[in-house]
Amino acid sequence: MRFTNTRELEKYRHELVNRPDVYRRLWVCGGPGCLAAGGLNVLKALREEAKWYGLSGNISFKVDLSGCQGLCDRGPLVAAEPWGYLYQKVRPEDAHDIIEETMINGRVVERLSPGQNHRKGYDLNFFRRQTRHLMGRMAHMNPESLDDYIKHYGYHALGYALARLTPADVSGRVEASSLRGRGGGGFPAGRKWKACRQAPGEIKYVLANGDEGDPGAFMNRSLMEGDPHSIIEGMILGAYAIGASQGFIYVRHEYPLSVARLNNALDLARERGLLGRDILGSGFDFDIEVVEGGGAFVCGESTALMNSIEGRAGAPRVKYVRSTERGLWDSPTLLQNVETWANVPHIILQGPGWFKGIGSENNYGTKIFSLVGDVRNSGLVEMPLGSTIRSFVMDVGGGPQPGRKVKAVQSGGPSGGCLPRSCLDLPVDFDHLAEAGAMMGSGGLIVMDDLTCMVDVARYFTKFLVGESCGKCAPCREALPRMLKVLEDLCGGRAEKGDTDRLIRWSEMLSKTALCGLGQSAANPVLSTIKYFEDEYREHEEQHFCRAGRCAGLYEPFIDTERCVGCGACIRVCPCGAVKRSGLKPQGINQNTCIACGACLKACHFRAAVARPRG
Amino acid sequence: MLNCQSHLDLVEGLIDGQAVEVARDTTILAAVRLLNRSVPTLCHHEGLPGDGNCRLCLVEINGRMVTSCMYPLRENGFVVETDNEDIRRARAFVLEMLVDRCPSSPRLMALAAEYGVTPEERFKGDDDLCIRCGRCVRACEINGTAAIGFAGRGAERSVTGPFFTAPDDCIGCLACAAVCPTGKIVFSEKHGRRSIWGREFEMVRCCECGRPYATPGQLSRPEFAANEICAQCRRRLMAADMKRSFTEY
Repeated sequence: MRFTNTRELEKYRHELVNRPDVYRRLWVCGGPGCLAAGGLNVLKALREEAKWYGLSGNISFKVDLSGCQGLCDRGPLVAAEPWGYLYQKVRPEDAHDIIEETMINGRVVERLSPGQNHRKGYDLNFFRRQTRHLMGRMAHMNPESLDDYIKHYGYHALGYALARLTPADVSGRVEASSLRGRGGGGFPAGRKWKACRQAPGEIKYVLANGDEGDPGAFMNRSLMEGDPHSIIEGMILGAYAIGASQGFIYVRHEYPLSVARLNNALDLARERGLLGRDILGSGFDFDIEVVEGGGAFVCGESTALMNSIEGRAGAPRVKYVRSTERGLWDSPTLLQNVETWANVPHIILQGPGWFKGIGSENNYGTKIFSLVGDVRNSGLVEMPLGSTIRSFVMDVGGGPQPGRKVKAVQSGGPSGGCLPRSCLDLPVDFDHLAEAGAMMGSGGLIVMDDLTCMVDVARYFTKFLVGESCGKCAPCREALPRMLKVLEDLCGGRAEKGDTDRLIRWSEMLSKTALCGLGQSAANPVLSTIKYFEDEYREHEEQHFCRAGRCAGLYEPFIDTERCVGCGACIRVCPCGAVKRSGLKPQGINQNTCIACGACLKACHFRAAVARPRG
Repeated sequence: MLNCQSHLDLVEGLIDGQAVEVARDTTILAAVRLLNRSVPTLCHHEGLPGDGNCRLCLVEINGRMVTSCMYPLRENGFVVETDNEDIRRARAFVLEMLVDRCPSSPRLMALAAEYGVTPEERFKGDDDLCIRCGRCVRACEINGTAAIGFAGRGAERSVTGPFFTAPDDCIGCLACAAVCPTGKIVFSEKHGRRSIWGREFEMVRCCECGRPYATPGQLSRPEFAANEICAQCRRRLMAADMKRSFTEY
């Protein structure tokens, strides 16, 4: 059935909501983390078990796949409605208990919902401290169902805009909301919309950037896989505002599920007259195509992305004229990150005032972060902009692993920077992060504890960037491998005098001379680690010592008998029996047998096993 | 004031303190060259579309560092500086990165010497004349052949035929060799045969002097189509024609 006007859409939603609905429901998380951990097997087992109990086909019971629920490292997750139980690390063998205990008897399966003595998922600190406008509905929605999306007021912003707003109004609302691009730079979206709307040109394009390539980041992926319609709705609104008739969603090739779900969503929307010709009977035509990327990190850069869509190699082009004026095929182009697009329907429907009520000055709204690394709860976290790093790491993330201390937080992916412990109270927003030498990026937050060597971190990111540099411009192509060589020399004890200064000089020049944004920020990992952890660089350079005990050969483990409580953890983990002991109490380390693997440092919860300079 | 009246739509500003007026969308480099000032370039070539990849022609406009070969002057009141401490440092950095890889290019070494840069033993790569400026690729593309292109990425980027083979589409026109700034692209012409990019072409002989002068592929192009004689003979015959027409009257 095609909707021919907005009223029909609203009436349909009304019907959906009032339709006798499934009462008991199991949501198996369909996010990338849970699927990788075997979510589909759990789904299958639950369905089979339900069949065995004669529950399937029963109107009052359903097992469904949802979008990402967020607590990714406890996956596969299963949420039970209406009770709100959240089962973690569910295996197919647990299906029997879940069906019998919860679905039939309504009781919680305690062994599957550990932590804080909480029975309900939303009571966990991880969820309680978040503001989940974008992700909240994902957990209660089948990403492959249009009805589920409509039930959550899906396409209502579009209906409202087409029926009651002019294109200028739509663009004006986005501008009034002060929404900033979620892709990293934080460019005001409203200004882009306005520029593109006013740019002369018959043909205009709307693009969504879903080429998420940062190591440790998966928020765009979850959005595309969990709530594809919100991106599509945002894009239609954008197209309406600027007068475009064709849109592209650029998704990286490594996300086949995102491509499949987006295509499925596009088909469903087209069937219902929400996309294609004469959208909702308004006479406005617009269609979207999904383009799969060529698998290069640099394709996330706007001009490289356009090159790639045009069918060329994905290398950036020199851009002194904005894409809003001359972008894809030299036409005015509105390119936004998928998360920016997903924010648009909310802004149109609830108004810029509502949006400005969230977040901090000039950084309004929420942002999805992928919180990973050395914290107890890792996963996707949606927080208002301007929340402190501490609230991410300590409140939502649950703090570092027992016995460890937070040393640094890396924000913004490979182009971002590492912030030290002293920056824990820094608000996470575009301006503060940039000022501190990091950046928001697409929203990766990697927490690192005291066993992390910052030189090694810089080496890791630089290595990633060496592999991903497109090689078009001389500074990025030639300087990054050299910087990597120096960093490898530092980590391998082959450093020469002046290497730290050399890195500083090169990094600063690289930022100034590189062609594209990625090249200009490619030195950020090195620059920010040197800025906050220069001591460590100097130790590597001058004393060939790694205080974190990470760089093999640059330290020897040592047991501080004063601090040691004699738990014997180091003795148990040592692979070569190098820990000398009397009884259970370690006495020291036999440096001749020790291979400096660092296992004892990691195992010690009392910081008694530490690294010290060799010899 | 230097005036370039080729276009009615003009913008004005300062280049190194000198007032200039140029057609809108003129690049900074073109404007600077109008003033007979020089900015070092490697990837730029007058006859080719700009690419801005060597980053050597950096200048400052209104305090911001940009590549002069690509930046269009569009607004009045621009202030361009083509030489100062910052710019020299940036150019020296770019050269420092390039010379380690290609120390045997005389052009590069001359520029490096001008900016006080010397190659370092520690970072020496395989000595390679190619600086990946892509002039050859652009030349090949705009003359319609598009036989060679870039392959690989990052430090592995290199110019090659498809799949690292001898390019089937090459017509042996030598445009790539003509625009190469370092002399990396070599070719040979011997006994009426020309070889380049691993391909060998039997050359067509001039029906006037009998010297081999072009490849069949070149002659199949419309702009060459009517030519059966080499350039020298054409010039000689034309000169003779003119001489005759002058002497007859």
